[in-house]
Amino acid sequence: MQPTKKVDSYRFVDGIAKRVLERWAALPGETHVPWTPVASPLSECTVALVSSAGIALQSDQPFDPEIERRDPWFADPSYRVLPRTARTGDVQVGHLHINPAFAQQDLNSVLPVERLDELAELGEIGAAAPSHYSYIGYTLRPERLLRESVPRMVQQLREEHVDVVVLVQV
Amino acid sequence: MGLVQREIEAAGFSTISLSMIPELTASAGAPRIAAIEHPFGMTLGRPGDAAGQLAVLRAALRAMEAMAAPGSVVHLPFEWTSTEKLRLGPPVPPPIARYLVRHPWALPRFLNRTPPVSSS
Repeated sequence: MQPTKKVDSYRFVDGIAKRVLERWAALPGETHVPWTPVASPLSECTVALVSSAGIALQSDQPFDPEIERRDPWFADPSYRVLPRTARTGDVQVGHLHINPAFAQQDLNSVLPVERLDELAELGEIGAAAPSHYSYIGYTLRPERLLRESVPRMVQQLREEHVDVVVLVQV
Repeated sequence: MGLVQREIEAAGFSTISLSMIPELTASAGAPRIAAIEHPFGMTLGRPGDAAGQLAVLRAALRAMEAMAAPGSVVHLPFEWTSTEKLRLGPPVPPPIARYLVRHPWALPRFLNRTPPVSSS
C-alpha cells in the first residue's frame, strides 16, 4: 500500500465558506445508509453519470436562476437529461455558486462523458449508459428535488438498465 | 450530493460520489465516497487534461469495487500541483451571500440548515 493521502476539503475555499462547510459537516447526519452491492464485475456494468453542476443542453430549457434569486435558500429543483453524446459546446451551466468557466471549456472537468466512453472502449466498464443527468447541488430545502426529480431519474436509469452511478460533486 | 446519492442507491443502483468535501457528503448518508482534493468546478481535473480526468474516473470506479460496507470513504491520491491563480468562485456572489449581507440575523439559520418555511 502506498502512503495514505488525506484530502484537505478546505484547500480551495475561503474562510467564510470553510466555516459554513465545516459547520454543515458537523451537524447531526443520516444514520441509515442504504447499500446495493456491485453485482457484477465493472467490465460487465452499465455506468451512468450524475453531476450537481446544473448542466443543461443548450437546446433544452435552461435551469431557472430566478427561483434562487427570489428565494435564496434553494435552487431550481428540476433536473436535465444529457445524452451520452453531449459535448462541451452543447451545454450551459446553471449553478450560481461555482465558476462555470471550467465546465464551459471542457464538460469533462465536471461530467466526464468522453472519459466514460473511453473506459467502455477499453473494456474496463461494460458500457456507458445512453443518458446522464444533472441538477443544481445547492439547496437547504431538498424536498422537491428528492420528491419530484430523483424518482424520474431513477425511472430512466431503470429503463436504460444501468447498474452503477457515479455522482460528481461540483 | 449525498442525499440524491442515497436515494439512487436505495432504488437498487450501486453508487459512488466524487466529493471534495467528503465529511459533508458522508453526513448526508452517502454509501460510497471517493474523496478528491481538486478545486470546485474541476472535480475530474483541468479542462483539456484528458489523461488526468481519465485517471480520476478510473480510480473512483476501482475504489468502488473494493468497498464492502455502507459509508465507505477512499481518499484518492491525486495531488493538485498547478500553482496557477484560478478564479474559483462564481462571476457574481450567489443570492444567499447577498441575502445574508442584508439579513445578517439569518446567518444562524444558514449555518444550522434550518431555512424559513418556503413561500413557493
